[in-house]
Amino acid sequence: MSSVNKENVKESKDKKAPGRMFIFPACVLVIYGILSTINPNKALMALKTSIHLLFTIAQPLVFVFVIMLVLNLFVKPAQIARLFGKGVRIKGIVLSVLAGIMSMGPIYAWYPLLKNLREKGAGTGPIAIFLYSRAVKPFFLPVMIAYFGWAYVVILTVLTVFSSIAIGCFMSVLMKK
Amino acid sequence: MKIAISSEGTDLSAQVGHRFGDSPYLIIADLVTGNFEAVPSPGSLAQHGKGVQTIVLIISKDVKAALTGYCSPAARRHLEANGIAIFTGLSGTVGEVLESYKKGEIKKTETAIIEREPGKRVVDRAIFIHAMKRSGNQFASMLPIFLGVVLLIGLLNTFVSRQFLASLFSGNPVLDTFLGAFFGSILAGNAINSYVIGGELLQYGISLFTVTALIITWVTVGLVQLPAEIAALGRRFALLRNGICFILSIPIAIITVVIVNLVIR
Repeated sequence: MSSVNKENVKESKDKKAPGRMFIFPACVLVIYGILSTINPNKALMALKTSIHLLFTIAQPLVFVFVIMLVLNLFVKPAQIARLFGKGVRIKGIVLSVLAGIMSMGPIYAWYPLLKNLREKGAGTGPIAIFLYSRAVKPFFLPVMIAYFGWAYVVILTVLTVFSSIAIGCFMSVLMKK
Repeated sequence: MKIAISSEGTDLSAQVGHRFGDSPYLIIADLVTGNFEAVPSPGSLAQHGKGVQTIVLIISKDVKAALTGYCSPAARRHLEANGIAIFTGLSGTVGEVLESYKKGEIKKTETAIIEREPGKRVVDRAIFIHAMKRSGNQFASMLPIFLGVVLLIGLLNTFVSRQFLASLFSGNPVLDTFLGAFFGSILAGNAINSYVIGGELLQYGISLFTVTALIITWVTVGLVQLPAEIAALGRRFALLRNGICFILSIPIAIITVVIVNLVIR
């Protein structure tokens, strides 16, 4: 299956369960409802705290949308599939890391593509690198920086990239056994 | 250079396929060597994503141009995004179309990306709108859970005492990091939620070791998605990968925090 099929999988999943994403916030609202009958003042205070938190994150969220837009404009899933695991050694590793970082959407949407690439002979190393380097989310960096600061984000990002390579190497060796 | 022509048959005398993705065969012709091969179009066998599977096939064959009767706008976008030129409105035999293409008689239909100056690409309005819609959908799909998390944090802030939350953790960095990794492995969803939860946990005095391990495993280890990963990549791969990621998340979290502390000092 292709990277483009990934979109189809995601779209079909979204179509199958359009209301699923509302279950969690609905449950939280029910808790609010129950607590507001027990202790209305505290429930109101909790709501005010949430609204304050939302305003705090609003500005980084705008940047999140802008980065998402830029990535959607200039990076296509099919291009990511082309990057994936190509080349040998260092080039292959770098391209797999890049593919993971640039990939968007939930992980389950990428499984069909990974399965297809695996069937076509892609190594376990590049797949493991791709899955791990997805932990670097360029479009969410503004929110992460707002919470943890530049130094933390830079260090964690660099370590995540190196860790993804280490895990790729581990997987290559262990899967051969 | 290779080109792909959608076809009703396996040789050059076959008619050009009416619709890209639906035709039974693709004739892949190499203009340099003059050789051609007939490849069964995966789209003709599939019930869903017909065009998509055909696109993947021609990308894998390193084709530079696709010729057909009709091509949907979505398939056209994906082809052009991958540097494949698309020529539509064609009829007759594959051989005739191939000869016309070689002679330069076939004009390229409108493209989604307009070439203004050499090396400079200007984004077409349709592509911009498509990207806006896609980003809007991605953003909107993230919002309900995100808002739920924000509302839950409000409750946590108001109803749960700092002492209680702190009592859940031992104060031992290694053990607390392990607990953070454990929670991150169980919880799933958009990474942005892990940042918000982690940030708020810090306010409660939970250590950065714990929060970092939670952020790392939130994306890299997925107990919820494990069945899907096993189905796609095999049991051994999925269990090994998740296990290694979990174990490594603890030293990585510790190293991250130690370096951060050194840098900030």
